[in-house]
Amino acid sequence: MWYKLTLPLVICFGVGVLAFVQEFVPHPWSAAFREEMTTWFRIMGGFGLFIGAYSLLHLHVTRIRRQQAGWGYSAFVFLGAALTIGAGVFEEVRAAVADVPAGAFSLFDWLYNYVQVPCQATIFSILAFFMASAAFRAFRARNVEAALLLAAALVVMFGRVPISEEVGRCLGSWDLFPKAADVLMEYPNMAAKRGIMLGISLGAISQSLRVLFGIERSYLGGGG
Amino acid sequence: MAAPEETTSRTRRTTEIVILVVGIVAFLVVSAAKKQPADAPDDWWVRRLGVIIAAGLTLIMYSFLYRDNPLFKVAENLFVGVALGYGAIITWRESLRPEIVDPLFVDPPHFHAFLMEFARRIVPILLGALLLMRLSRRLSWLSRYPITLMVGWGAGIGIPITVHTYILQQLQASVAPLTAAATAAPVGQAPGFWGVTLPVLGSIVILAGTVSVLFYFFFSVEHTGAGGTVSRLGIWFLMISFGASFGYTVMGRVSLLIGRVEFLLKDWLPWGM
Amino acid sequence: MGTPEAQATLRRLAVARRVIYVLVAVAVLVPFVYPLPFRFRPSPWSEKVFKKVEALKPGSPILFSFDFDPSAMAELYPMSLALLRHCLQRDLHPIVMTHWQSGVGITKQIIEEAAKERGKQSGKDYVFLGFRAGGSNLVLNMGESLQGAFAKDFFKQPTEGMPALEGVRSLKDIPLVIDIAAGTAIEMWIAYGRDRFGFDLGAGCTAVIAPDLYPFLQSGQLVGVLGGLRGAADYEMLMKRPGSATKGMQAQSLTHVLIILLIVGANVHYLSRRLKGSTKG
Repeated sequence: MWYKLTLPLVICFGVGVLAFVQEFVPHPWSAAFREEMTTWFRIMGGFGLFIGAYSLLHLHVTRIRRQQAGWGYSAFVFLGAALTIGAGVFEEVRAAVADVPAGAFSLFDWLYNYVQVPCQATIFSILAFFMASAAFRAFRARNVEAALLLAAALVVMFGRVPISEEVGRCLGSWDLFPKAADVLMEYPNMAAKRGIMLGISLGAISQSLRVLFGIERSYLGGGG
Repeated sequence: MAAPEETTSRTRRTTEIVILVVGIVAFLVVSAAKKQPADAPDDWWVRRLGVIIAAGLTLIMYSFLYRDNPLFKVAENLFVGVALGYGAIITWRESLRPEIVDPLFVDPPHFHAFLMEFARRIVPILLGALLLMRLSRRLSWLSRYPITLMVGWGAGIGIPITVHTYILQQLQASVAPLTAAATAAPVGQAPGFWGVTLPVLGSIVILAGTVSVLFYFFFSVEHTGAGGTVSRLGIWFLMISFGASFGYTVMGRVSLLIGRVEFLLKDWLPWGM
Repeated sequence: MGTPEAQATLRRLAVARRVIYVLVAVAVLVPFVYPLPFRFRPSPWSEKVFKKVEALKPGSPILFSFDFDPSAMAELYPMSLALLRHCLQRDLHPIVMTHWQSGVGITKQIIEEAAKERGKQSGKDYVFLGFRAGGSNLVLNMGESLQGAFAKDFFKQPTEGMPALEGVRSLKDIPLVIDIAAGTAIEMWIAYGRDRFGFDLGAGCTAVIAPDLYPFLQSGQLVGVLGGLRGAADYEMLMKRPGSATKGMQAQSLTHVLIILLIVGANVHYLSRRLKGSTKG
């Protein structure tokens, strides 16, 4: 049906062309149009954030309903969410009906500071152990390329920590190793990153054009 | 008579349970050992309880290094739930309420002001509501309208911005040092041979690296002969870059570990280091 | 189940893995118990950020976008705190915001901790705008009208007429923006902010994304960058106020040396086995 597929693609093309053209039009109407559209997308973005939350809850509901492996743990997701949302809603209502003194206890902030923050920080810090173990077991100079990678990693790892300056002082130049790391980062690393960036940008422009002309439609999703 | 593997497994499980019980007792003893300071604020106990729970969750997370276990799974799922709840409330508090509720129902001093704000916001509110239709199997096609608006806008505005920021500015920066070295000299100071040569050499390295890396990713031409040499040079530059990234990644992950250890030693332990 | 040899190999690998974990833990713990004396000097790119802040006149606005969440806290919290302390010490007017909803709590903590030290007041000496959805669209909005993008601050005070925002109507009125980020926000600020509205842009980032920013440093699109915990320690050093980042660098030194030794040792073993294999023919 035309309103399910064709019309959205026409809208995409039309808005895309307008967005492209307004970049080159210095008239105040162009700036006003851009401000209006960006305000619209800011408001719509707020709704979009709820979709992620719903999807996650739906996943755990399904797991409990079908009693899949580990379904009991999903109850803790709901426990955590219920506690936090309950605390947040309570504070919204409290702030609406009464003056809350500054520094008053907030269960909502407490859950964030003492449950979310430590868990989230710790989960990512575990990677330090895995990196050390993986580097020991898998990082081998099997050929010239791997040796280059290894050498660059060692130069950077050593050059960026204070002990390298102490070692450099003993060798007569405190900035020997930091300078080596700097040169590596500012020349070969920078060149490669720039090449990658240019390649990705050209790809992004090509992909944007494919989206505008309706060749790329995967973002539309299902639903006929 | 139990098989040897079964006996070993039972022994290991018993050892693990004993270690767990001893660990929990030790954790509780250490946590309770910290005394309230004389000048502590009124909510010190609430904060101390929070620190104890945070330390407990931290250590439970680290138990994953030994192996995956039920305590870790409980903590992980609890964290997911709290993060979900926090995100939902913050989205309401920081995005939807100040953008929709306050401008329409709290701030307008009179009906005319409400109408003005309503006229300005009704379209994005409707589009946002249509976006939520994504969750319905029957009506998900309605969400295509706001999505195509956002995607079309992003694609259209992204093209000139990408060309300017990521291509033109970067190409200019690649060539500018060479032209600058050829034309200018520092005011009041002769640069000398090395003052001019080193920047030029550096710029040549950068140009050579950028071109060779770009060529490596160009698969429409076979990488043989001179092209193969350029492609190989590109691979070498890429390997140096990946090595540098690996070094920095190690640094980043170790920093995260240092942060958690500092929390445990400074905030949780009774003697706070 | 596998052959006995395979099982023995798996057990050896499991033991080796746990020994490495213990070594890493010890390498991180030791410097906290026995402080190490390693000195260091700030890196040039960190100094450039410091000098940019130093060059601002008292009373100037400076925008901070703290785009990170608890997963990057260890690196970016000390950095953000050091920057805010510097600004408040110089009587600048920090305008603080975030693009990450999960970072709102930490951002609030940082600004309140820095402000409390110097007795600064929200709305008068600094403003915490909070979070808004929108990403690049928010930056574009702020470039036209800051008060339009944030009609109220985090504490529900109207931004219109706020003393801390005196003379600031949009991003064009802000001389320096510093983005502290754990993701791609810095590139977004360059593309949609700096290149469009002409302010100077500095960055602080996790060590993981620091190598990706060098092209922007060379092109001048970024005035400087504080990379990871080292960047935070550099800034503390420049402020002459060593803190947790400076202390953390000692543990960083020891752990890096350990990992380097592990890698070098493993490769020496590998190469010697390869040489033995090739000489045997």
